Amino acid sequence: MRLPRQDWYPRLEPLLGKVEKPSRYLDHEWGAVESQDGPFHVCMIYPDVYDVGQPNLGIAILYQAINRQEGMSCERGFLPWVDMADLMRAEGIPLLSLETSSPVASFDVVGFTLAHEMACTNIVEALDLAGIPLRAEERSEDDPVVFAGGPSVWNSEPVSPMFDAILLGDGEEGLVEMCALVRDLRGRGAARSDILKALARLDGVYVPSLYDVEFGPTTTRWGRAVPKPGSGAPKVVRKRCIPDLSVTDPLPQKIVPYVGLVQDRLAVEVLRGCARGCRFCQAGITYRPVRERPAEQVVEAAEEGLARMGYDEVSLTSLSTTDHSQCAGMLHRLNADLSPQGVRVSIPSQRLDSFGVEMAQEVGGSKKGGLTFAPEAGTQRLRDVINKNVTGDDIDAAARNAFERGWRRMKLYFMMGLPTETDEDIVAIPEVAQRVLDIGREVVGRGRKSGVSVSISVAVFVPKAHTPFQWAPQLELSEVRRRQALLLSSTHDRDIRVSYHDAEVSLVEAVLSKVGRGGFDLILEAWRRGCRFDAWTDQFDFSRWEEAARAVGIDLVEVASAPLALNVEFPWEHTSPGVSKGFLQREWRRAAEGVTTPDCTMTSCTGCGVCPTLEVDNVIWGDRHAR
Amino acid sequence: MPGREQLHRLRVEYGKDGRLAYLGHLEVINTMGRCIRRSGLPFSVGNGFARRIRLQFSQALPVGASSRCEYYDLLLTDRVNEGEALVRLRGATPAGLAPVWCGYVPRELPAIEAWLTRSAWEVSFSRGVDRDALDGALRQLRDRGSLEYMRGEKRKVVDLGQTLVGWDWDEPGVLTLQTRATNQASLRPAVLLSATQGVLGREVPPYSVCRVGLWHEGVDGSLVEGLDTRSG
Repeated sequence: MRLPRQDWYPRLEPLLGKVEKPSRYLDHEWGAVESQDGPFHVCMIYPDVYDVGQPNLGIAILYQAINRQEGMSCERGFLPWVDMADLMRAEGIPLLSLETSSPVASFDVVGFTLAHEMACTNIVEALDLAGIPLRAEERSEDDPVVFAGGPSVWNSEPVSPMFDAILLGDGEEGLVEMCALVRDLRGRGAARSDILKALARLDGVYVPSLYDVEFGPTTTRWGRAVPKPGSGAPKVVRKRCIPDLSVTDPLPQKIVPYVGLVQDRLAVEVLRGCARGCRFCQAGITYRPVRERPAEQVVEAAEEGLARMGYDEVSLTSLSTTDHSQCAGMLHRLNADLSPQGVRVSIPSQRLDSFGVEMAQEVGGSKKGGLTFAPEAGTQRLRDVINKNVTGDDIDAAARNAFERGWRRMKLYFMMGLPTETDEDIVAIPEVAQRVLDIGREVVGRGRKSGVSVSISVAVFVPKAHTPFQWAPQLELSEVRRRQALLLSSTHDRDIRVSYHDAEVSLVEAVLSKVGRGGFDLILEAWRRGCRFDAWTDQFDFSRWEEAARAVGIDLVEVASAPLALNVEFPWEHTSPGVSKGFLQREWRRAAEGVTTPDCTMTSCTGCGVCPTLEVDNVIWGDRHAR
Repeated sequence: MPGREQLHRLRVEYGKDGRLAYLGHLEVINTMGRCIRRSGLPFSVGNGFARRIRLQFSQALPVGASSRCEYYDLLLTDRVNEGEALVRLRGATPAGLAPVWCGYVPRELPAIEAWLTRSAWEVSFSRGVDRDALDGALRQLRDRGSLEYMRGEKRKVVDLGQTLVGWDWDEPGVLTLQTRATNQASLRPAVLLSATQGVLGREVPPYSVCRVGLWHEGVDGSLVEGLDTRSG
């Protein structure tokens, strides 16, 4: 029996004085939807704490989309931090929604955001705390129907046993259709199995229970998912795609939190998709095609949102905001309108060229904090392999331009363990940093008082599904550590600060990115051994993951670092973002040859296949700035 | 932009109530900044790196404590009628933090945090409390002179002779504490009640805390209301 819908806040309140940040659990924020009458109730859960999940634009979009529907109510849910989760368990309080403090297990539909692989144990934790059976196959007729969607659905196999249905791609329309279908069929008394079959007939919806895992000579040890005979499920589920961003709500973010958030500002999505073609980047493939929101709409939304919500900062978000064809005009107008009110306009990252610096100048004005660029690799050869399309001259010119305009601190992002990487590429990372530092000293002057400094942050490459590098092995743990040591010993200037990601976290992330449905056993075992909040440095415990892997017979390093043949069948090939496997194979070969591929929004079609497959096109409102 | 001398200092009294009692001081500050922006009042913005609203708050309220008398001072570039300012602020503020009164105060008054240092707190116990035993424990603590406690990983010392002005029982189960904040420390009711456990050898019953008074203390010990616009 599903839990009754009732307000548990009186039971929760006595715990608030005993936990860190009680404001995470309060609700009643400005702009929250107070009326939650239903009668059809949906709870959207971000499987992390409130302060991390609340700024998520995806949750905001879906929250508004569902609450706009007649007869549907949508609430938010987040995972309580470990102190509160433990207290709730001790007091017998289940996971609650935020708006009405109702048990999550009392809802008709529960939706999870799959934000990244490292949130997988948090999903288990959330379901367990809610009292919802962990495996979809164990749920009764009356249990909530559990959905998932978000950026990390592209190898959903290891978490798929937990979900009744997974939505691929844009959720604005798809999730509403899914909820309406569940509501209508439940209203007619349909069996859960029939609801799942009907869900599988919706575009973009993957119903894991309708697929068997088969093994063959060209599959990995994780097999491939094929529709069960008679299920009616499609062989390949293609993603949903909103063809025109301008028809969507430009201001879905309406709630003003009390808690200081990770991204505590108004966010306006200025474009979706990126066609630059970096070969390691999953979002660059899975969000295609590029769809810009017209500048006029962005400016109006930003100004209206600021007046309605009271933020003092607006961020123009996307995968590559400075690529927007109307970027300069948009930023200029917003700055002119908002600067007198002390409102700051920000963009999430800078393009590595002079235009990027000009745009940073536009948003930063006379205030100069640090400036961040992402060359990703130290040598031109390796930058060509990853299709970064940035030259050493670009880096030098951008750095000189930035120092001349008043910036003093530069942060450079790199990756380690990229395909074909050698020691020469590692040693070149601090050389790039040194060159940037020398330019700064030349422009600004030497000595500590000049304030010129460069910091480099080096992530470990994780091969991701549906990218040209999905065939690549991850660098073995011992080799990552050797190269990290080499990086440190090759950095000689004290004004260059080096930081690098935890190799063990990256190893677990790589394993979760590569395993198939059988990988759920590993996730479940890791959670049973205490893993949760694995994306939090202070909570991640590699030894528990090692123990869990041993218990289920998985060698983490072997899974992450196994080389794969070009004709291998991946566990995720029954889901498609619309980009053809042939294109990815071609890009993988071109990478090996060091041949770059241009951005189709600045040149001509490069044949990725997304436009004809999904019957969409790039939507560009002006002229894009090629380098 | 008017110069600083042409700005108007609007003092706003507000409460902190219900669930929002669990907001921390920084969260209240951020929330009020957003309320002021939403209100459309002609607020003044500082020239620092972050360009914040020129806004000052009275002494921090502990997390979990509610209040009937919190204050902030807001600098405006144009003088707006007090009634209109109050309506605009109330319309832009969550009910749990709603402003109840506002008025202009002299620009030259000291910073509000340093000026309003005397507090009265109502401690309401949820079930029967041994009043005599608690009185005895409070007296013992006061006679010791100072109170040491841990706040996170930091050891704190409060001079009770300076900070604990007195206490009384207005009605059964409701203890009223009078405290004074000094440059060195301020006394939180929860810290004092927690310390009584050491004396009593048992926990006090569950309770809630509400600040019911906040005043300026004159050199002669007289108390001046936060919204007494005549005082300097």
